[in-house]
Amino acid sequence: MPSYLAGRIGQALLVLWAAFTLSFILLQALPGDALLIKYQNPDMGLSPEQIAEIRASYGADQSLVLQYLHTLGNFLTGNLGYSVSASVPVLDQLATNLPATARLAGLGFAAAVLLAVGIAVLANLARFAWLRTAIASLPSLFISVPVFWLGIVLIQVFSFRLKLIPVINPPEWQGLILPVLTLAIPISAPLAQVLLRSMDDVLTQPFISVARARGASLPWILWHHVARNALLPTLTIAGILFGELIGGAVVTETVFGRSGLGQLTQQAVDNQDASVLQAIVVLAAAVFVVVNLIIDLIYPLVDPRLKKSLGANA
Amino acid sequence: MRISRRLRSISAAVAALALTTTLAACAGSAGTGPTAAATSDTPVAGGTLVYLEQQAHTNLYPPSGGFYPNGGVLNQITDKLTYQNPQTLAIEPWIAESWTSNAALTEYTFKIRPGVTFSDGTPLDAAAVAKNYDTYGLGNKELKQPVSEVINNYDHSEVIDPLTVKFVFKKSSPGFLQGTSTIGSGLVSLATLAKSYDELGSATNIIGSGPFVVKNEVLGKEVDLSARSDYKWAPKNAANQGRAYLDGIKIVVTAEDSVRIGSLLAGQGDLIRQVQAYDEDQVTAQNYQVHAAPTKGVNDSIAFRPDNPLVSDVRVRQALLKATDSAEIVSTLFSENYPVAKSVVAQTAVGYVDLSAKLKADPSESKKLLDAAGWTLGADGVREKDGVKLSLTIYESLPQPQNKQVLQLVAQQWAKVGVKLNILAGDAGSRTVDNLDPEKTPLTVAEVGRADPDVLKSQFYPANRDALLQKGGSSTKVKSFSDTTLNALLEAETSQTDLAQRLKDVADIQNHLIDQALVIPIFEEPQVFAAAPYLKGLAFEAVGRPSLYGVWLEKK
Repeated sequence: MPSYLAGRIGQALLVLWAAFTLSFILLQALPGDALLIKYQNPDMGLSPEQIAEIRASYGADQSLVLQYLHTLGNFLTGNLGYSVSASVPVLDQLATNLPATARLAGLGFAAAVLLAVGIAVLANLARFAWLRTAIASLPSLFISVPVFWLGIVLIQVFSFRLKLIPVINPPEWQGLILPVLTLAIPISAPLAQVLLRSMDDVLTQPFISVARARGASLPWILWHHVARNALLPTLTIAGILFGELIGGAVVTETVFGRSGLGQLTQQAVDNQDASVLQAIVVLAAAVFVVVNLIIDLIYPLVDPRLKKSLGANA
Repeated sequence: MRISRRLRSISAAVAALALTTTLAACAGSAGTGPTAAATSDTPVAGGTLVYLEQQAHTNLYPPSGGFYPNGGVLNQITDKLTYQNPQTLAIEPWIAESWTSNAALTEYTFKIRPGVTFSDGTPLDAAAVAKNYDTYGLGNKELKQPVSEVINNYDHSEVIDPLTVKFVFKKSSPGFLQGTSTIGSGLVSLATLAKSYDELGSATNIIGSGPFVVKNEVLGKEVDLSARSDYKWAPKNAANQGRAYLDGIKIVVTAEDSVRIGSLLAGQGDLIRQVQAYDEDQVTAQNYQVHAAPTKGVNDSIAFRPDNPLVSDVRVRQALLKATDSAEIVSTLFSENYPVAKSVVAQTAVGYVDLSAKLKADPSESKKLLDAAGWTLGADGVREKDGVKLSLTIYESLPQPQNKQVLQLVAQQWAKVGVKLNILAGDAGSRTVDNLDPEKTPLTVAEVGRADPDVLKSQFYPANRDALLQKGGSSTKVKSFSDTTLNALLEAETSQTDLAQRLKDVADIQNHLIDQALVIPIFEEPQVFAAAPYLKGLAFEAVGRPSLYGVWLEKK
């Protein structure tokens, strides 16, 4: 097990380095850069000589290899640099935005899981075929709802018409309700679909018929036999969906005017703010790697059969 | 009977009493009526204003204040040497009590008002002013602080005595006095100027002497300002001379147009910036206020890059000027707050001359000019010459209101005379790079707000914004184009010490730009705000940045 973990951590570091390098190359390949966008802006009214001086002061006139090594060195020593467009340390930006997004994404993900489980269980417990079909078709509806539109509709209804929750300066927990819903609904859809499908698969297994023959009720079977077995594929997809949370957060945070990594990413992309983007890419890669590592470690807890293969690997 | 009579008299008395009370109450309310009306003009102190901005501020180094979200913060927390009266455009005393200049306008001496302090307690004296202007006029390479656009030909400062400072220029600088009143010339404490430019994006690092102080900031989301209780150095002619009426201001970034308007109308915000023309009715229908502040500079226009052979022929440019119907654009897309352009600069700008006769749309004349220039209609309806199509490209400009729709309408109008206009959105990097290459962008969107004739030089001079892309200017991609007549006129105007002659120069510049069809002016761009009905005393500086010093809230 320890050597398995060490291997996985080594892999993770490799992924982080690759993400860093790839994002550096991609950002360099784009036309223009943050300095040009900022200082060539007519609002600044700077002459070409002045712009060249500024570029030199940021080291933008050095060779790409030197710039790469310089940035990598800074990264390794924890110096993330400054955002060119916002003129604040990137570390400060992350400190402001990371907790906000963590809360939104964490709660959004939890809500999505609840929704998905609710849909899957209700669909299986439904007594009428039409009700079952109706509930089972909810995920298709959820996934086709544009996040942007959903957010605006929720604001219009709950904030502007019913005046239940303010959008501007809401108390923290209140302010989370609508954004979390907005984020959770589309994310819950693929989860619910996979869960429904795997529950269907498990329900047709012979051991279920045995349990039923022994007189177990449907809810009891769902809870004791189906849930655990149907969880595996859902876990896998949940790991992948975590990445989508950041994408969903961009839109949600913009619509609700919340600070967060999503909004920060969008602004950094708009301004090709390399230092901010690289920090976000590496951070996102780190979160992704950690989440998937955790999920891999959870597998054997959910399904003891996987313990052996893990041990064999290690 | 007696009892009943007594009862009756009692009830009568009660009724009478009731009546008198009611009458008294009526009289009372009638009496307070006029006073209430009077109090509605008498400011009340207190309350926090919630101001919804579309974008987060960026760098708050005062010379970067041109960006409206920056100006919205800086205008509340910094004072300037002088105050430009937004109505008369005259320069009035503020932190400078008085000033003198030599005849050649190469030296300006300012007397500083005594007793002014920055919010960190340090004095705003001649030495502080000198340090501010040395930084804005020359930049500070070590701290990466760039030069200000509004200060030209700056040489050095001299502190004559603790409250007198003199600025010396290499050449005549007639625009300097107005420059001291602009948003880019806000005075900040030495502690702020000692910080690297990279750190001036944090509002908490900006220490000014203004009526409000930055109390708290959530990066990219919110700036909280609180009133300075010891503020007593407002512009000399301002109605209020004491502290601000508001206790505080919350500037909240709300990117979505519909959420900003909805929040205002639902009572969650008091003032919002950037109201689109199509949303104005929604605001006024509920008795909310729409404030359109003119920006008094170069109009929202399309500028040509004559270095590109497609538009190097003046007849082609004139044809496109005549093919453009700005009145149709304004009536289709905008409201009465967006006047049709009558010249290169706005009617409210200094030195404006009415050139509307030269700007009339005339498609048939346009076609004749294109025929004469040798561009003949091809089979697909687009003109061509020597196998080259008259197809032009422009990038949409995000800060300009409904710019994409404006350009789409222009494209329709030009299509009628056989010219194709391609509108690109593009990412910021491509837009910036391509906008420096006349081959890729024969056209660009131009606009700049500043209430001084120097605004023309800012926009068109090769060493400044260089909208036309001249040889030796901002781009190395330019092969040969240079308009020496225009440049000579711009140089003459910016160093002209005689005001009457300066205004004549400004008129000549406008005529030259239109006669040579270097610019197609479309409309005068306002900054549009919406405010709740109970918000009073809202004012704007000369080019449309809100001044919240005199604002008070009637109820809330």
